[in-house]
Amino acid sequence: MRLALIVAGLALAAAMPLLAGEFWVTLLSQIMIFGLLALSADLLLGNAGLFSLCHAAFFAVAAYTTAILQVRYGASTALAAPAGILAGTALSFLFAFAVRTRGVYFILITLAFGYIVWGVAYRWASFTGGDNGVTNVPFPAVGGFRVANATQYYYVVLITVVLCGLAYRLLVTSPFGLTLRGIKSSESRMRSLGYDVGRHLYVAFVLSGLIASIAGVLYVYYNRFINPVAASFPVSVEAVLMAIVGGSGTILGPFLGSGIILVLRNWVSGFFHYYTAVLGIVFIVTVLWAPQGIMGLVARWRAGNRGEGA
Amino acid sequence: MSSAIEVDRLSKVFGGLRAVDGASLAVASGERRVLIGPNGAGKTTLFNCIAGTLRPTSGRVLLFGDDISGLPENKRTARGMGRTFQISNVFTDLTVLENLMLSIVGTDARKWIMHRPLSSFTAERAQALDGLERVGLGGRADETVKFLSYGERRQLELALALNVNPKVLRLDEPCAGLSPSERQRFSQLIAALPREITLIMIEHDIDIALALADRVTVLHHGKIILDGTPNEVQTNALVREVYFGRA
Amino acid sequence: MSAVILQAVNGISLAALLFLLASGFTLTFGLMRVVNMAYGAYYLLGGYIGYSIARRTGSFELAMLAGGTTIVVIGFFVDRFLIRPLGGNHLAQVLLTVGVAFVIGEVCLAIWGGDNLRIPTPVWLRGAMELPGGFYYPKYRFGLIVFGTVAAVGLWLLYHKTQIGAVVRAGVDDREMVNATGINVDRLFALVSALASFLAGMAGVVGGAFLTLNPGAEWDILVLALVVVIIGGLGSLEGAILGSIIVGLLDAYGRWLLPEFSYFVLFGPMAILLLFRATGIFGKEH
Repeated sequence: MRLALIVAGLALAAAMPLLAGEFWVTLLSQIMIFGLLALSADLLLGNAGLFSLCHAAFFAVAAYTTAILQVRYGASTALAAPAGILAGTALSFLFAFAVRTRGVYFILITLAFGYIVWGVAYRWASFTGGDNGVTNVPFPAVGGFRVANATQYYYVVLITVVLCGLAYRLLVTSPFGLTLRGIKSSESRMRSLGYDVGRHLYVAFVLSGLIASIAGVLYVYYNRFINPVAASFPVSVEAVLMAIVGGSGTILGPFLGSGIILVLRNWVSGFFHYYTAVLGIVFIVTVLWAPQGIMGLVARWRAGNRGEGA
Repeated sequence: MSSAIEVDRLSKVFGGLRAVDGASLAVASGERRVLIGPNGAGKTTLFNCIAGTLRPTSGRVLLFGDDISGLPENKRTARGMGRTFQISNVFTDLTVLENLMLSIVGTDARKWIMHRPLSSFTAERAQALDGLERVGLGGRADETVKFLSYGERRQLELALALNVNPKVLRLDEPCAGLSPSERQRFSQLIAALPREITLIMIEHDIDIALALADRVTVLHHGKIILDGTPNEVQTNALVREVYFGRA
Repeated sequence: MSAVILQAVNGISLAALLFLLASGFTLTFGLMRVVNMAYGAYYLLGGYIGYSIARRTGSFELAMLAGGTTIVVIGFFVDRFLIRPLGGNHLAQVLLTVGVAFVIGEVCLAIWGGDNLRIPTPVWLRGAMELPGGFYYPKYRFGLIVFGTVAAVGLWLLYHKTQIGAVVRAGVDDREMVNATGINVDRLFALVSALASFLAGMAGVVGGAFLTLNPGAEWDILVLALVVVIIGGLGSLEGAILGSIIVGLLDAYGRWLLPEFSYFVLFGPMAILLLFRATGIFGKEH
């Protein structure tokens, strides 16, 4: 049943450009890209129990690297895209030392790490272009194939995200994925079972940085422009919110959350100037009344229907 | 044949308090050894020094002849130590099967595999289900632990402890918090464990302690006051005074 | 050499401001285990209100009072009705208070607009004074250093030398024990929280006279305050004092020597410290 729904969903996604206009195609690309970013944050949050506020940093570093290589040094996509992913992941190797802390300290340290990157993007204007960022990023081109428009790029994003989703699924259902959930459940028990908890968390952090970097490269070809806002705190915290609104600990949740937040933004900002206040209210409402997100509500509804205990 | 566990003049001092004072004991391979003593006698402290959660102030701990005094807890597990906690510490948000799988794959590099789903690990799954049968939890594999009773969780704990293939198993008050019938069942489980595993236990319930033990070590104020067979301990006047005299 | 002194004074004056904000944050965490990311927004709102009051009445002192009291009221409602239902869940607290900060930020934007605003300094602190080295420095910033020092000493005395301070310290150490001794813990929390809110709102007015008030300022100042508590250790007043001085100096020298990487200069030492001492200089394992 579940499988049928997913296949239907994918078929619908593939047929989207034929059914809807360019507005929806670009919006869906954006939803998928930020859903992937939210997924990367959720690898840590939903599975290992770590709340990271610096994922926008990997996202932005990957995007900037790709953009600068293509625009300023004329590098090809085949070079710039992997380089971007590598750069973002390399940064996560460094920031992963944050796993030496837990709880509040981890949150605060990742927050500060995220700010370092934002600060560099903003103030090292000679390299990053400062406030103006890097513009005129071309569409990607590999071999003879060149992406010509937003619709074609939509398919690039769709395929990449689906592949990432499959890999993610393999990861979380693997023994390693279980070790993360074990750490989230009881770190002391894991230690007594012989696990080097710090090492597992470190690896998880780097993997999540890798996914965020992929999202960043996808983003820069989508937006054709990158500026320090992409590394900012609101982006990191929104990524976590998307994961929670959709349902933390699931694979679809982050994408659902991304859809909800981005559609809401598009709709609300059409008639209300102070959209960020609405986002703030979404934060408050979600935390107080729906901390398990949409997927959690669905699960509870299904359990209720089957007459199971809460 | 060298002892499974040997403690050599071990002391543990906390500030001004000598929790364990020059304790020496040797547990033979395959033996069932029980530590008894009134509250505050130092049993748990001694246990924790053997486990590796505490570092002794002086003295040594030897595992099959090797000095493990400086090894951290997870390295001792790798050498064959297993343990159950005094307060049940299973993974309550995970299923019974997941709890077991974690303890099975935790012993080697399988815990790093990221590209195959757990469902494909048929041998490990069989081992897990087998372990569940051994402790009397057969058929409960897919239940979430938080729905298990306290007694059932202790059974799961035992299965988890057995999965690291311990050569020495430390049971810290295994029957604590169980109802009388659960205690019966659990002590039978312990008695049925194979002799390849050396057992060292702390137990407050004297009846269970004497029934399970090959040898008993009695602690009082951090010192070992008697080390002997259950019979010897039962008939010893000093032990009687320590337990039933002025508390 | 005079430039070095100048930057040091800059750093200490920023430290004074940061202390006002960080001390409240660290004490509410230490006592109530609450992480409140809206402190930056409290600062901004307090500052804007002070700005309006100052324009209306010309009194800086009144502005400080107004800024502080408004935040006491708002802080009370946020604590009572939004934060309390969350229990001790730090993740939820962070998300919720970030949401509160977003809402407050937008309200400020709607009322005061996007321009950089500055509160006029009190008349008796206008102008400059002469420093050793023969150059001039704004009187106001010196006044800020004095004010910050008085606040730090006052809080320290309150914390270490009074009955109430002893109770708070006991509560930071072991909350359940204080509860068990029959002291009204709720009222204690409300009191500490109110003091922290007052300091935050007042800090906005004080800061608004030499830093500008503008959208985004709430996050700039919050991050600095967070680094202060990370370095100093959550829950420690001494840590807030020491951390503020360190961060203030790092910020001043960083901006002067390596303007493009000033955040690096700021966060680098923090990151290194954390590798060796994960709970900051004076923090405790919680």
